[in-house]
Amino acid sequence: MDLWLIGELALTGALVGLMYALVAVGIVLVYKTSGVANFAQGAIAMSGGYATWAIAAFLGLPMWVAIPLALVAMFGFGMLVEHAVLRHMVGQPVIMIIMVTFGIEIFLRGFMPGTFGVAVKRLDLGIPQAPMFLGEMLINRAYLVGGAVSAALILAAIVLFNSRAGIVMRAVSDDQGASWSVGIRVERAIAVAWGLAGATATAAGILWGSVQGIDWSLSLLLMKALAIAILGGLDSIPGVLLAGLIVGVCESLATGVIDPLVGGGTRDIVASVIIVLTLLVRPYGLFGREHIERV
Amino acid sequence: MLYRRAGIRHTSYPKERQLWPLPFDRYLVTAVALFLLAAPFLVDRLYLVAYLLPWIIWSMAALGLNLLMGGAGQIHLAYGAVMAIGAYTSVHLVRAGVPFEFALVAAGLMSAAIGMIFGVAALRVKALYLAMSTLAMQYIVDFVISHSPAISGGTQATIQVPPVSFLGIALEGDLPMYYFALAVCVVVTLFMLNVQRTAFGRALAAVREKDYAAEVIGVDTFKYKLLAFWTSSFIGGVVGAVLVVSYLRSVSPDQFHIELSVQIVAMVIVGGLGSVLGSFFGAALILFTPIVLNNLVGALASGLGIAMSADLRAHIPLMLYGAMIVGFLVLEPLGLAKIYDNVRNYFLVWPFRHARR
Amino acid sequence: MRLDRRTFMAGTAAAGLVGFGKPALAQEKVVKIGMPMDFTRVYTFVTAEYSQGHRDYLTLVNERGGVNGHKIVADITDHANDIPRAIEAYERMKREGAVLIDPLSTPVARALVPRALEDKINMITTLSGRSDAADGTAFPYVMPASPNYWTQAGILIDYFRQQDKDLKGKKIVFVHIDTPFGREPLPILQALAAKLGFTLQTFPYTPPGNDQAAIWPQVRRARPDWVVFWGAGVGQTTALSEAVRNGLPMDRLSSSVWLSESDMEVVGKDAVKGVIKFEACAGGRDPKVIQAILKDVVGKGKGAGPEGKVGTSYYNIGVMMAAIVAEGVRKAFEKAPNGPITGPWLNDGLHAIANFTADGMLPGITVTKEDHQGGGKGRVARWDGGKFVPQTDWFTANQDLVWAEIRKYSAEFKKTGK
Repeated sequence: MDLWLIGELALTGALVGLMYALVAVGIVLVYKTSGVANFAQGAIAMSGGYATWAIAAFLGLPMWVAIPLALVAMFGFGMLVEHAVLRHMVGQPVIMIIMVTFGIEIFLRGFMPGTFGVAVKRLDLGIPQAPMFLGEMLINRAYLVGGAVSAALILAAIVLFNSRAGIVMRAVSDDQGASWSVGIRVERAIAVAWGLAGATATAAGILWGSVQGIDWSLSLLLMKALAIAILGGLDSIPGVLLAGLIVGVCESLATGVIDPLVGGGTRDIVASVIIVLTLLVRPYGLFGREHIERV
Repeated sequence: MLYRRAGIRHTSYPKERQLWPLPFDRYLVTAVALFLLAAPFLVDRLYLVAYLLPWIIWSMAALGLNLLMGGAGQIHLAYGAVMAIGAYTSVHLVRAGVPFEFALVAAGLMSAAIGMIFGVAALRVKALYLAMSTLAMQYIVDFVISHSPAISGGTQATIQVPPVSFLGIALEGDLPMYYFALAVCVVVTLFMLNVQRTAFGRALAAVREKDYAAEVIGVDTFKYKLLAFWTSSFIGGVVGAVLVVSYLRSVSPDQFHIELSVQIVAMVIVGGLGSVLGSFFGAALILFTPIVLNNLVGALASGLGIAMSADLRAHIPLMLYGAMIVGFLVLEPLGLAKIYDNVRNYFLVWPFRHARR
Repeated sequence: MRLDRRTFMAGTAAAGLVGFGKPALAQEKVVKIGMPMDFTRVYTFVTAEYSQGHRDYLTLVNERGGVNGHKIVADITDHANDIPRAIEAYERMKREGAVLIDPLSTPVARALVPRALEDKINMITTLSGRSDAADGTAFPYVMPASPNYWTQAGILIDYFRQQDKDLKGKKIVFVHIDTPFGREPLPILQALAAKLGFTLQTFPYTPPGNDQAAIWPQVRRARPDWVVFWGAGVGQTTALSEAVRNGLPMDRLSSSVWLSESDMEVVGKDAVKGVIKFEACAGGRDPKVIQAILKDVVGKGKGAGPEGKVGTSYYNIGVMMAAIVAEGVRKAFEKAPNGPITGPWLNDGLHAIANFTADGMLPGITVTKEDHQGGGKGRVARWDGGKFVPQTDWFTANQDLVWAEIRKYSAEFKKTGK
């Protein structure tokens, strides 16, 4: 096992992990403001990919126009989901709300391929495919761009949470009743969180879609995103950044080091085990806030 | 009217404590039981083999998980893996010549033993964090099964279930298999109906509501959480064995993946957490809605000659299915059992709404 | 009234609507076949095109008067790769008199094998299902009628041998999805490695394979002489794009039969020029059958889907399987013109298929009581940037090893089965 390979795997893994983290950001945003675990995030990412493709294909627009349009559209879509469905679920048991988002996931899984066709769609961002070497390490340009964009967006989310709008959202996540009483528009804050979740999911859908093509399997990003969100602590955005890096690097190294030993794809397992062990030490994730339970 | 509840008071404790204190409920249960017993002679084979049998089996699975999720409030995303352990244990034991009666119990014990390890995570983490921990177990069990040729059966990864007999009756053909599944289901259902009335059930309820509080009033949460996982996994293992023997007839790893776990969780939630009746409703809804919608859309499209693309036609049932789950839960977040309960409550004292229940 | 009570009491009132709106074909002379398939879950990459080809060919046959005056009617439904749904579809089709089932899904085929054998209903497992079903003595009613994965691997390796003259000391890398399907070719590859003296290195990736970022750097570093990648759907496109980004030589990259034009389009048609794959039937629009479909079916507005898909790889596989089924029906009528139309009747017909080429589209399929694979012939085709161009004639290779493996598992099946 040479160091170049380890280095290359770690770097690729880190970049891929950032791309997963971008899906997870939406889950955290929604959980942080409204306490809802959003199981539809994978399907929303898929929808974002489809939307971008549809705008580019049907309106004949170039990518740099189609992407912002899709982001705006999906921001609106996120708000619509909140308005049409989740607003009615306020105060219901958490597990029911999870199931509702799961229903949305199933609906979108039917709607998008049903409307636009099941055949895999090509989404070309114009990232050159030729290999780029750094010493003996190959830098995968697609992942380099993807990772960079993801990191930038996640950092932007962190900055947002320190702005005025972010403080409003933080207040809502702290105590909805108290926020209400000081004049914060709680519904709007939650709607914005869903809108942002829709937009970040779209960004992730576009990045992943350019790697694998756009079809329903983009919705499978949910599992990995959920794992990252939970490892980071469900209500922490910096946690997502770190957890994405950890999961990505661990998975990548597991593929390189452990797979040959056991003769099977251990990626998911190694990642899950690391998460479980972390949770046993820190039951609320790396940066999650501990709930103080009162009897 | 149907229930004639208004004005009827129980005069002794045993009467009040019956499983079904109201005569109408008893008649209803008897009627359903009689129907299920006579079903092979009443309904077409298609409905027996492709609807009733899977419904019974999946309902049992939902019941087993409901003990954990509804009874003790612990999320479990690896129930499919628990069932896989039971399925493989029983099939391998039967192939080794062990009588099926023992193999069935051994399947339960094996699942319970491994399933309890899953529960250890529950001692430390909660809610979604627990969901993630159990998910890890699902991946690990999947991996171990499909990567051990000794368990999964080599490259083809499919093992045929050899002919078995239960209590002297050969489980061959539709009838014995149906009655076997039904018998196990009755046992599981009766257990679930009664467990809520025992000290064990009440302790679980205390843990579910608030584990700190339970500890304060002297419930050993450590013990009861593990016991809940043990019992639930035991049922899961038995159901896994019933599933492969009487329904699938061959066992391969992909039958027990995360999809199955999620499906059963959905049944429990849509049916109603902690409700025995809800498990049956939920299983029926989740299992059959896609089939019925698919047949319906197919029949409508070809019957009315609506022109649509093949992709759209294939996906409309999926959309409707998702929309239905959302719709049901938005309208009644406590599940199908609650909807049934609302109707029942309405009729309990109907038409004397002002009467005390 | 049994029907009323049944539908009412089973509580599946809507299921009664299944019988509703059924076309009044019962009076006509028909041969019914069931096509429960996965349109919405795992096999989406192939099902739509396969089904389109299948339906178009049946339309062609029926428009020309059917077989012996009988129309072949396919009942198509979605089983979403879900076993209970597939069993429901199977039982319903059986009740409606289907004599043949084509589930096009490996897990479903595996789950239906015991039932099909018991009910004597023919099951087509096109390039899927159990590989050992090629042994007709153990699986009389299961018909792959197409080269199984062991044969595909054997033929690919033989093609490498033809190219390099000698594989001794060469290195072949096998990248596969980590499921039973992906691991299936391993025994054959290992046996061939020992026999021909090449080194085999395997890289499993976790399903569904949308992230193979950590696999391909290792493949690149292994500096392989040949790469075989084995997956389906999204795993294939991801594998190809990773291979491109890692700068692997495209003309040393090869795949099983599951690689289509649309996969190439997703990765970029020109970037993957030179990739080779196994072919079970001729692709493109050149075969006479496809020309006939274009003229008589699609040209008359009776096509089952978008015209652009006609002649794609999976479309042609659908045509191939429909042609084999129609040929089986034809042979069955030759043997017993008056039926009755049952599973065993069609089974006799399918077993009588001899050297069937569907006007030059197929390699010459011969089904016997022993060999359900149909001869195990195929060829290797290379992507030239626009289409797959055949590189070899139809041939078969390493069948001794393949059959040793088939018999090993079918013997096991016979032992534990009924």
